[in-house]
Amino acid sequence: MSKTRRIETTVELVRILVAVGIAYGIALVTLIAISDDPVYIIRQFLLGPFSSARRIGSVINLAIPFTFTGLCFCFMYAVNKFNLSGEGIFMFAGCIVSLAAISLGGKGLPAPVMLLILMAVGMAVGFVVSLIPAWLDVKFHANIVVVSLMLNSMLAFLSVWVLKYFMRDPSIGSMGSFMIPDVAKLALIFGKFRVQSGFFVALIAVVFVAVLFFKTVFGYKMRIVGSNANFAKASGINMTNTVILAQLAGGMLAGLGGTCEILGNYDRYKWVAGTQHGFDGLMVAVLARKNPLLVPVAAILLAYLRIGADVVNSRGDIPIEFITVIQGIVILLVAAEEFMGRYKKRLIYKAAEEDMKEDREHVCLH
Amino acid sequence: MFTLEWFGNFGYSVLRLSTPLIFVALAAVINQKAGMLNMALEGMMLSAALAGVVFAGFFGNVWAGLLGAVFFGIVAGGVLAVSSLSGKTDLYLTCIAFNLIAGGGTVFIMYMLTGEKATTSAAVKAYAIPLVTIPLMDKIPFLGKILSGHNLLTYLAFLSIYLVWFFLYRTRLGLRMRAVGENPQAASSVGINVKKIGYLSFLISGVLCGCAGAFMSMGWVNFFMKNMTNGRGYIGLSAMNIAGGNPVGAAVAAVFFGFSDALATMLKSQGTSFPTEFIEMIPYAATVIALVLINMIRINQKKQIEKGRKREGV
Repeated sequence: MSKTRRIETTVELVRILVAVGIAYGIALVTLIAISDDPVYIIRQFLLGPFSSARRIGSVINLAIPFTFTGLCFCFMYAVNKFNLSGEGIFMFAGCIVSLAAISLGGKGLPAPVMLLILMAVGMAVGFVVSLIPAWLDVKFHANIVVVSLMLNSMLAFLSVWVLKYFMRDPSIGSMGSFMIPDVAKLALIFGKFRVQSGFFVALIAVVFVAVLFFKTVFGYKMRIVGSNANFAKASGINMTNTVILAQLAGGMLAGLGGTCEILGNYDRYKWVAGTQHGFDGLMVAVLARKNPLLVPVAAILLAYLRIGADVVNSRGDIPIEFITVIQGIVILLVAAEEFMGRYKKRLIYKAAEEDMKEDREHVCLH
Repeated sequence: MFTLEWFGNFGYSVLRLSTPLIFVALAAVINQKAGMLNMALEGMMLSAALAGVVFAGFFGNVWAGLLGAVFFGIVAGGVLAVSSLSGKTDLYLTCIAFNLIAGGGTVFIMYMLTGEKATTSAAVKAYAIPLVTIPLMDKIPFLGKILSGHNLLTYLAFLSIYLVWFFLYRTRLGLRMRAVGENPQAASSVGINVKKIGYLSFLISGVLCGCAGAFMSMGWVNFFMKNMTNGRGYIGLSAMNIAGGNPVGAAVAAVFFGFSDALATMLKSQGTSFPTEFIEMIPYAATVIALVLINMIRINQKKQIEKGRKREGV
């Protein structure tokens, strides 16, 4: 039994690596096919993210929101509810937090209090928003994917409305809010790497979620509900509560992510369309196989890919959108049970045969 | 403002904006009847919309564009079928991943072909599927205004309602598809090839999404625009959901959503002092509200039935 499980874990790891490898291969082939100077472009794509302290810092900076939304989708994915509201929450939390920061700016609050208040605001936004699809799903069986996507579209418009009517700075030409006060900003750390201090918040979140997943009763219930709903029901787990609570926790993390992103990297709030961080989070969660401890690894991998594409985009006239395609391919390959399924079966059969042979020898010896 | 003329125009606009939603809702019905909730309609429609513009521009012929759109709709359906039926990927994840690929891929291909990232309107010559004037009908004062002079695909959309209904309820293959949707094990035990039926349903929904995409880029407007489907795939899916998989009901729901879309467009063009952001939300909000209301009614009915049974039991 434990042998089978070990094989499964190993194959899982190999599968993810191969999937990422294939996707990376496709990315490289695409780059070679479409660029005039493939060697230069590929070097930029692979090594560009490491070429300066600033860029390494931006990989980490980009991995921070991915970690938050990845954790968010770990919750959704763990209870098998594809609540995609993380996307809208990320944007809307950023918006409401900026509004709160601007209006609290003159009150003379000390920075730590201010930051705690703002993070609470962001999480509250996530809580409220993720409750809508979760509740409509449980209460009225309204398709959760449809509701959450419609909600995302509405939240995008709502954010623009808040920006336009409550905090727009008329003195700047483009659409943007007033300056976010310095007291509300997350400081940059690690010297010239210029990483935002939301880094620590993300680390704390990862540890917290991992403990919740693996060391608490609630986490155990959640994993059972996700892996076998009938069994969960039969063993008397309150399905509705578990499913809703998991989604609320996910929503709060997405809200926290939006908060750290806006306070760490922006002077003004200026998002007028969805940031796509939500869907990136889905990929991170799929890659990490809904294991919160693997989320930062997957987030850094995705951030590395993104920054590489960014470098190529700025230097080589290659549109960054091809990364989205790569992302989709990774999700498809990692989630495909049959991908390398035969290889896994062969390994398991082999192990089983060896076991039987050993058993037989054992019996013969006696 | 509210003259007969105005109502005529508004009715025309409702039918026009319903067209892609009807196609998509029917595609969702076909998948639903085979037992699958297809959430990739958005991406299928988007890739077909780009294919339509590219093929029309390349061959200099609008019909080549329509064929190209339908062909790419079918290809998209095939990719989904291979991934979810043969690759055994979770259907939800397949669809979400496919929408990601379509969203980024269409922009990428558009940029590769035209050097533009937002629309093809400047780079590719515009082709439009012709409008059809129904003889005699267009002479009727009010109805003619609403019903005549639509895009060919609009009439095809309404015709497809009948075709899909006929296919599902009057053909042997349709019966088999419904059997698979009801209970795949039972269907398989009487010798129906469940996988083949699944493939077929994805291919048919590919054709329908191809028509929807062609309408978006060669009827609604005459170019391709980044993310131009803008949630219509999901709105069509909810139309199916509201009707419980019935093709006629799904089409009615699609027309209702077309109405809310037309309402939003009309209110925006009227230039009210009301913030446009809220007007833009109307189609999305209408979808959620309709979905919740209809499910509420259904749950209530179920409760009533259960109550009745209990009473009979007593």
